[in-house]
Amino acid sequence: MSISLSHLTKRYGSNVVVDDVSVEIPEGSLTAVLGPSGSGKSTLLKLISGLETLDQGRVVIEGDDVTNVDPRHRDIGFCFQHYAPFRHMTVSRNIAFGLRVRKQPRDVIAAKVAELLALVKLENKANAYPAQLSGGERQRMALARALAIEPRVLLLDEPFGALDALVRTELRQWVKELHQQIKVTTVLVTHDQGEAMEVADQLLIMHQGRIEQDGHPTDIYERPATEFVQGFLGPTTIFKGSAVRPHALELEGPGAGAIEGAVTSIVELGFEVQVTVLLSDGSMPWVQLSRNEYAALGVGVGSRISIRERD
Amino acid sequence: MGTRVSEDAAPTEAPPADSRWRRPPSRLYSRAGFAGGATFVAGYLSLIVLIPIAALVAHGFSLGVQTGGWGAAFWHWHVHADFRSFWTMITRPAAVSAIRLSLWLSLSVAAINAVMGVAIAWVLVRDRFRAKWAIEALIDLPFALPTIVVGVVLLSLYGMASPVGINLFETWMGLMVALLFVTLPFSVRAVQPVLASLDGEAEAAAKSLGAGGVRTFVSVVLPSLWPAMLGGFGLAFARAVGEFGSISLIAGGVGRTTTASSYIFNLTQGFLWGDAAAVSTALLVLSLAVLVSSNVLARRVARRLAP
Repeated sequence: MSISLSHLTKRYGSNVVVDDVSVEIPEGSLTAVLGPSGSGKSTLLKLISGLETLDQGRVVIEGDDVTNVDPRHRDIGFCFQHYAPFRHMTVSRNIAFGLRVRKQPRDVIAAKVAELLALVKLENKANAYPAQLSGGERQRMALARALAIEPRVLLLDEPFGALDALVRTELRQWVKELHQQIKVTTVLVTHDQGEAMEVADQLLIMHQGRIEQDGHPTDIYERPATEFVQGFLGPTTIFKGSAVRPHALELEGPGAGAIEGAVTSIVELGFEVQVTVLLSDGSMPWVQLSRNEYAALGVGVGSRISIRERD
Repeated sequence: MGTRVSEDAAPTEAPPADSRWRRPPSRLYSRAGFAGGATFVAGYLSLIVLIPIAALVAHGFSLGVQTGGWGAAFWHWHVHADFRSFWTMITRPAAVSAIRLSLWLSLSVAAINAVMGVAIAWVLVRDRFRAKWAIEALIDLPFALPTIVVGVVLLSLYGMASPVGINLFETWMGLMVALLFVTLPFSVRAVQPVLASLDGEAEAAAKSLGAGGVRTFVSVVLPSLWPAMLGGFGLAFARAVGEFGSISLIAGGVGRTTTASSYIFNLTQGFLWGDAAAVSTALLVLSLAVLVSSNVLARRVARRLAP
């Protein structure tokens, strides 16, 4: 195991932000810590890096207990949500910072910086200042700067949070490819479940300072351990008194032997169509249909319809 | 409103490099209103600042009385002659030594307070302690206190009858203590808001990359403070050059502690208006040079730091 956390606890006054968290993060994985804001996920990341001091627990990285090691000596690459560029330094100098601190010889630094500039595709921005970069470029510079020290672990705090939608999608894919290329154990924090599902091969779902569930994204999505996890990973609707995914329900014409009700609203979202049905017990589940299924069904608001769970 | 929305949509996207300093004109406000504002500001500045300065310079070169009604060639000759008398007046040994004293004192005071200003601002912004409000108020005290009161206090504290046994009467050190006191708020208040605006992320990044406290301060924090420090330096210098009240008592009456401002005051006491205006003009030019160069330098540094 690359990162092993046991009983991590952090309080701010009487407020417990991280509450007795124990988890193992496998070597070479790309793990997403997913949770709503205030769930303690960013704090967890800072506790691993040592930038925040913990009240209880142990942090072990690649077998070394670093609980009492200063963040400077933990060999951790940390990327901040707003990239934290050194604004008075060029892109090259930013990337070289960690190597200069480590007093590497000049030619070694120059070679490493050139290699990283190529890796993050910023060769033509080597002498630009952070102010001259776009958000995505700044993020890539911050990644290169963190990777320069050849960290044992890479920690990314909301890496795509401050980018606009298009750049975000592009950069997600790029980070995923970069990870496959360099294989450094990476933990990223996000509040966006789509982002987490797309990028990560491991998920940690956090809620109120605790880990609700961890494992492979698909497993968690299909077998959520708690109601919170189920609700957080995707839309749910109440059918027969329990929460189900709206795409796990299907509609048929009346008299199909299932529960019957009346259509109360239809929302068309391009390929997806959401149909809400009022049942005789007063509950109003909504069903997610594809455009084709909806067309084949041929219903309108007020139609009688029968509803059941898909097999 | 369309432009407004698109600006908000991508707040972190930096504008292209060449337009870093040219903000696009705001379309939310009418240009007519701004033009009226500019006229008003220009008028007010002329009345309060430009006309008195022009009068002073004209007086320094004795332009006003000697040029009226003469032909162009003659006028030119007169200006030339006046420049020579101006030069004579500002190169008298007493004038030179007064200007020199003012300059080196003010430069060193501004430099010392630029450093101390950062130290004090650092403590006020980063540290938590009980008497913070008291220190905050104390720093602004030199703004509020009439400078002659400062002079009286310093004379009784560091004068010949010093209760602490330190006699700075008629020494440059006495002048320096007075100037350090009156210029302190400029240096602290220039740096403090900038320091408070640093979110600490860059420092944390430096730390995670292996930099120690000193390294982080020197290579990450200090560069962000340079523009503010230079701005504070310029203001403190300007204030120190012009300072009169707080130093007039502890300076005594000897030549070696006569600053330019005291020298000018002494000249007016002897009705030597021409000399007084000439030395004032020289002081004005020197102060302006220091202010402009510290501003230019600050702007050059700040350009790189733009978010």
